[in-house]
Amino acid sequence: MANDDTWVIIPVYNEVTVIAQVVADLHTTFRNIVCVDDGSTDGSAAQIATTAAHLVRHPINLGQGAALQTGLCYALARPGGRFFVTFDADGQHRVADAGRMVDAARSGFADVVLGSRFLDQHEGRPHRVPLLKRITLGLVVALSPVGRKLHLTDAHNGLRVFNRTVAGQLRIRMNGMAHASELVSLLARSSWTVRELPVTIRYTEYSTSKGQPLINGINILFDLAVRDQK
Amino acid sequence: MIVQVLLVLAALGALVYFVRLAHNVHIRASKRIAFFGFIVVNIYAVLRPDDMTWIAQQIGVGRGTDLVVYLLVVAFVFGMLNTYLRQREISNHLTDLARTVALRDAELTNRDRGLVTEPQSAQTQSSGSRD
Repeated sequence: MANDDTWVIIPVYNEVTVIAQVVADLHTTFRNIVCVDDGSTDGSAAQIATTAAHLVRHPINLGQGAALQTGLCYALARPGGRFFVTFDADGQHRVADAGRMVDAARSGFADVVLGSRFLDQHEGRPHRVPLLKRITLGLVVALSPVGRKLHLTDAHNGLRVFNRTVAGQLRIRMNGMAHASELVSLLARSSWTVRELPVTIRYTEYSTSKGQPLINGINILFDLAVRDQK
Repeated sequence: MIVQVLLVLAALGALVYFVRLAHNVHIRASKRIAFFGFIVVNIYAVLRPDDMTWIAQQIGVGRGTDLVVYLLVVAFVFGMLNTYLRQREISNHLTDLARTVALRDAELTNRDRGLVTEPQSAQTQSSGSRD
């Protein structure tokens, strides 16, 4: 199978109804999948155990950032990984988009490929981002000077591809949702090439109910304001 | 002057508790000195409230009580910040610990599930043949 050199990392927290299907969809394209169960209380881990994905279980709930870092550590310890994909567990990303981004990374398009749900706007393709979501995410990008420096259009997209060099040097310290902004500022300070590719987000009722509400944006800004610089 | 007796007793009680506690808990020397200084000033201010008013007036605050309140606010905020930083440090340690445990367990779990065959054999070969 192609993509043997690629690891997909899925942070999972209470996604029992969808996680098995998400893994099954991914498995048509990617052989190496690791699900990091972040202390779920709804039997997500048992669901993952029925799939072909590797399972790593946090003994307690630590947050999405911590789960991503754990998944990266696990995948990096396996031999043969050259590209590392982060993928949301709620089924909002499309496997085809992930495949396209990995192909781009493999062709040397960039060291880091980030998915953007806003990029396709400029190409006139239809997109459906709820208004409140657009305002929240636009605000985060506008308030993030480093995000502007990289000319990013979407700072909080869970679909990302890192090559091995970058993945090996990532140290996500923000355990909660602020890890996305932490990643962006880390990438901006690095010498790696960072590019965005347009992706489509499926805003199902399920994924919308689990998304980040506006108030969370304020929490994220607070976390980033008081973090220690490392 | 019953209140003075009570306040001094409370301050001395805190001092005794702190000294006994300090044997078990790692506290930095600078914080110990600050605490002793705090107790001394505390007792002094209780016994000689007029002196606090004098100091307050020297630095442009109306009454000694006001000065104490202002200092209390500063000390409170500093204490809160200190607690917050300490708590985050503990949380970072906890994250590292939980991650180590999770990764160690995962090696065993995924080997039992047949996903990780002999460590570093099958997959190394496949990646080696491709490159």
